[in-house]
Amino acid sequence: MTKQETLVTFQGVRKQYDDFVAVKTLDLEIGRGEFVAIMGPSGCGKTTTLRMLAGLESPTEGTITIGGKVMNDVPAHERDTPLVWQSLALFPFLNVQENVEFGLKMRGVPDFERQPRALMWLERMGLKGFEKRRIDQLSGGQRQRVALARSLVTEPEMLLLDEPLSALDAHLVIRMQGVLTKLQKELGITFVYVTHSQSEAFAMADRVVIMGQGEVAQIGAPRDIFRAPRNRFVAEFVGRNNIFTGLGREGRDIVVAADRISVTRDKPEGPAIKAEFLSEEFVGTAILCYFETPEGEELKAQVTEEQLEALGAEPGMAFWLGWAPEAAHEMEG
Amino acid sequence: MKTRISLYPYVWRLPLLIWQGLFFVGPLVLMVAMSFWLVKNYRMEPDFILKNWDKMLSRGYFWDAYWITLWRASLAAVLASLIAFPASYTLAFRVSETTRRWAIFFLIVPFFTSYLVRAYAWQVLLAESGPINAILGFVGLGPLTMLNTGIGAMVGYMTLVLPLVVILQTFSLAAIDRNLIEAAWNLGARPRATLFRVIIPSARVGLIIGAVFAFILSYGDFVSPFYLGGSKPPTMSILIIDTTKSGQQWPRAAVVAIMMIVTLFTVAFAAVGAAYGRRK
Repeated sequence: MTKQETLVTFQGVRKQYDDFVAVKTLDLEIGRGEFVAIMGPSGCGKTTTLRMLAGLESPTEGTITIGGKVMNDVPAHERDTPLVWQSLALFPFLNVQENVEFGLKMRGVPDFERQPRALMWLERMGLKGFEKRRIDQLSGGQRQRVALARSLVTEPEMLLLDEPLSALDAHLVIRMQGVLTKLQKELGITFVYVTHSQSEAFAMADRVVIMGQGEVAQIGAPRDIFRAPRNRFVAEFVGRNNIFTGLGREGRDIVVAADRISVTRDKPEGPAIKAEFLSEEFVGTAILCYFETPEGEELKAQVTEEQLEALGAEPGMAFWLGWAPEAAHEMEG
Repeated sequence: MKTRISLYPYVWRLPLLIWQGLFFVGPLVLMVAMSFWLVKNYRMEPDFILKNWDKMLSRGYFWDAYWITLWRASLAAVLASLIAFPASYTLAFRVSETTRRWAIFFLIVPFFTSYLVRAYAWQVLLAESGPINAILGFVGLGPLTMLNTGIGAMVGYMTLVLPLVVILQTFSLAAIDRNLIEAAWNLGARPRATLFRVIIPSARVGLIIGAVFAFILSYGDFVSPFYLGGSKPPTMSILIIDTTKSGQQWPRAAVVAIMMIVTLFTVAFAAVGAAYGRRK
């Protein structure tokens, strides 16, 4: 990732409703043309963060700037921050083309200019021939693309997406991920993508912001977050990780990814822990095996089908789970 | 086993069918038949004559009543919708859930007292020497003649329909997906554009149904035009009363009633068509 010009900054941003704090303190910079995913469990403040960017919520404290301009008091309709809603929020009383033209119409773009721009975007989204359809005559994937066209037709510098794929079927999610990444590369604009899904965030984003309880837990490239989670919260949220309590220096916790664990019957050299085999889960490209230590902690190891067969694992059998010292990452907290 | 026809759905439909047959279709058929009957020496005789229809529909006073009723009911529907909207909007978007619940409750309270009683109350308030004119006189206006005029009748119609229209509008506005409203802002719509391009189209069905109820209730009402509007010019319902009183002309009153029902059906169909029009 090359050094980018900053588009968005959050400085000490806090959002509080009566007695509920949605965002505690947020300091974050988002670059121009960057694909940032904000990820976290529900209630972590990720959607509130996105809504503050769109001007649908205003921060209680702190400053939000977009393109160097302080945005705190700029109302939503004066911002150029289109959002793709989880529910898509397409207007059911307008047809496909009217939906796409809406933003242009509101900005006073004349009719003769509106129409070709809307049609161009519909064609680009593979919706040619659907211009006059009603929204409820479209499939989920088609609606998704109408929502994208509606948001992008005004040629914004930044697109906000709030869990846009969570309502789609699994195979469509993968396809839409491809559509989104390609679109973002082609347009070169900033995407801020809120999701609770690790696979979506890791598949698409340049940088992932993990939030928990209204604070940023870690910011980094997907690989860094996966291999080197900063703390237990991130490690647990990212999944397919094994957390070993107190095995690091000064009793710190270490984390080892499931695909870096080797499973053997005999005690291997180097660090290893004995655990009982519980079950296996076929995850497409590999098999995820679950184990339990005598202390009751759950461990995961990713193996190939051949390896599993060679081990002849049956529930209740004990194995050694080992890892190379360099595969272990020591966490801060 | 499969040949046994379940009576279950038919049994449950029966009470409604009997009710509708006895109290709606039956009387309607009777009324249509009656409109062709003959009145002789103040007594009705079953017959098939076109005289009642001819007499009524060729009279200027019938058409005067027809148009004044249509006009007043339309005006009442428009006025009620416009007066109710700001209140409904506030209840739907600007107040808490609890406040809205209480407001709905208080909008139901007026129906506890007879509409006739409320019309009598307005007679006192609207009178030449009543409190409203006293206040107007205090600021150097009036006195205004409101009782026994179209204004009086309109006040009565509003008394009858406003609470219901507010309730219907509030429910339809409160049911709008908030994301649609936010999406409009997000796409650059100012509050005014949001209202006209997103909120009103989203609540269209409820808003039209509210107006239709206002129309139907005002159209058939006889209390307001009689006690507050001074029955001059007569509306269709007053015409029915007058016709039955003068010489037992039930068949001619039936003609008026049938004309009213036909008009209501036409308006209701047109309105429902407009409400759901583009969604078909």
